[in-house]
Amino acid sequence: MMKEAEHVIEVEKLTKRYGDLLAVNDISFNVRKGEVFALLGPNGAGKTTTVEIIDTIRTPTSGKVSLLGMDVTKKKHDIVPRIGVLPQGFSSFDRITVRETLQYYSRLFRLRDTDVDGLIELVTLKDKTQEIYKNLSGGLQQRLGIAIALVNDPEVVFLDEPTTGLDPRARREVWDVLLGLKKKGTTVFLTTHYMEEAELLADTVAIISKGKIIAMGSPGELIESNANYLVLTLQFVDEQAFEIVRKMGFEPVQDNRKNIKVRVEHTDDVQKILNAIKDAGTSLHSLDVRKPNLEEVFLKLTGEALREGPAGGRGAE
Amino acid sequence: MNPRVVGANLVVSIKSFYREKTAMFFTMAFPIILILVFGTIFMDQENVSFHLYVQDLDHTDSSAQLVNTLELNGKFQITKVEPAVNATQYAKNNKLNLVLTIPEGYERSLMQRMMRNDPNASATITYIYDPSSTSVATKMEILNSVFAEINQRMSGKPPFIRSAETSILTKKYRFIEFFIPGIIAMAVMTASLFGTVNVNTELRQKGVIRKLSTTPITRTDWILANILYQFLLAVISTIAMLLVSYAVFHVSLQINAWLPVFIVLDVFAFVGIGMILTRFVREAQSAAAAANAIMFPMMFLSGSFFPIEMMPGFLQTLAGILPLYYVNEGLRASMVFVDNMAALRHSAIIGVFAAVVFILGIIATKWEEGK
Repeated sequence: MMKEAEHVIEVEKLTKRYGDLLAVNDISFNVRKGEVFALLGPNGAGKTTTVEIIDTIRTPTSGKVSLLGMDVTKKKHDIVPRIGVLPQGFSSFDRITVRETLQYYSRLFRLRDTDVDGLIELVTLKDKTQEIYKNLSGGLQQRLGIAIALVNDPEVVFLDEPTTGLDPRARREVWDVLLGLKKKGTTVFLTTHYMEEAELLADTVAIISKGKIIAMGSPGELIESNANYLVLTLQFVDEQAFEIVRKMGFEPVQDNRKNIKVRVEHTDDVQKILNAIKDAGTSLHSLDVRKPNLEEVFLKLTGEALREGPAGGRGAE
Repeated sequence: MNPRVVGANLVVSIKSFYREKTAMFFTMAFPIILILVFGTIFMDQENVSFHLYVQDLDHTDSSAQLVNTLELNGKFQITKVEPAVNATQYAKNNKLNLVLTIPEGYERSLMQRMMRNDPNASATITYIYDPSSTSVATKMEILNSVFAEINQRMSGKPPFIRSAETSILTKKYRFIEFFIPGIIAMAVMTASLFGTVNVNTELRQKGVIRKLSTTPITRTDWILANILYQFLLAVISTIAMLLVSYAVFHVSLQINAWLPVFIVLDVFAFVGIGMILTRFVREAQSAAAAANAIMFPMMFLSGSFFPIEMMPGFLQTLAGILPLYYVNEGLRASMVFVDNMAALRHSAIIGVFAAVVFILGIIATKWEEGK
């Protein structure tokens, strides 16, 4: 019972159909108070449908969702003042300034003592307070969206793909804001298709694919239980190094920058490979040994990449 | 309903409008431009005066007196053509649609008739004219009536049939005074319909409505703010139109309590239609097209620009089912004809219509994107 009371979100056998399409298929999970919970999955996996059912934008086909102890389908009016939402593809009034926008949303929540300056500071928009929404860059617009989601000092904040479409720098700036929220102990429900985002911010990650949750746990647990190996990367090695490693019984992969990636079970294997290369007199520029990341966990679990194109960030190392 | 929430929305709408200068200009200026253009066109028609070219081949006191009579009629500005020139060639060369030629011997014939009472003595005034010209027939009709009157007088007997005019109106009104209430009704309709459709589809498409659905704002707050905003715009625009009309055309209109009543009903009716349209049209572009499809027939068929009596019978019947017709007629009844009963009748019809579409509009408006 004690543990139950800590759950701010309880999802039980949630299903959502759009005609013939089964967008969310019988999923169940809980979110604890004060944690950052990330729903990680590719586009079309059912992330937005799930979050929009929980934050009362949509209604479920079946299943039970309770938020702050209330049924989301019956208590929308009681729930709304206590949550903050950054919907997917957030947008605001084009010709209204940052400060005016926050004041507007504060009034919608019928509040009189909103710390607009504090919010502006939190999302680092201090020198943009008089700028109209239309003139803000994508990253600044998202940061304003986060500030709006916090205007009513909510108990749970829902952020639906807060960094999608942003360039890497803007994304990092949004992450800084979210790390600040995490530090404050705000309960955050996040959806993302960036594994770095989930890994960096989330206490709990639920991996969703085709409407089903296929794995859930802390990023560390997920990696530990699903990818129990190390990745050794040898950089700028001769052609023959590839052959040497392959003959040792490993399955090396070579990329176009003359890097070789090898999955190894144990640190002893790293030593063996290095010794073999040294004995053959082949030069080695540098090396990197690391644990696998969520991207690889996802790949292993679903057989598909989290998003199209270059895997971004660390995937290219 | 929460006044603070309604107020917050109103402030956002007004600021957005004020900061979008081009939209503001066109919303305010378009009806004023219409008034200026149409007012100027029809003002000229009221004090119409035609150019008339006269060639006096007789060159006598009597012929000069005839020319003088034509000038005194007030419909003509006379230009004299030299007797030496060929009048037909002159009309062709100068692209004139009518040259009047007074024949040589005019005075002689006149004397014969007057002094000797010779019934065979007559004078033939020639119209050298261009039949392809649209205004020449009017000129010739006026000339004919002037000549008929001269002939009648010369007969020395008083006319048997006389005519008398009795206006059904308390005072004579000018076209511009008929026109302005129609433009007010049309401008308020356009702003309310387009304002509602454009703003709502755009905000929905951009996802602002979805964000709003996660706040405590209610549908009633939102719609009420929209109505207030449109009413405010309508009032400002109506004042601007009236000021221009009074200043430029010196109109004489009755401004009474009916004016705000009809503006409110106009706003409610077309914001209601706008809300219904918004429900069914997903894209902002098709929304504008749908609004146009409703607006244009309404503008031309409901008597905004000209009296519906000028249209064929079936179109007049059609006008009777257009809501704007009742706003037009109601505003004219109160502002021009000072007919309170007619204003009441029209306000009742548009009032019922506005109530129905507005309630349908509220039902049609929904916050949630998905089901």
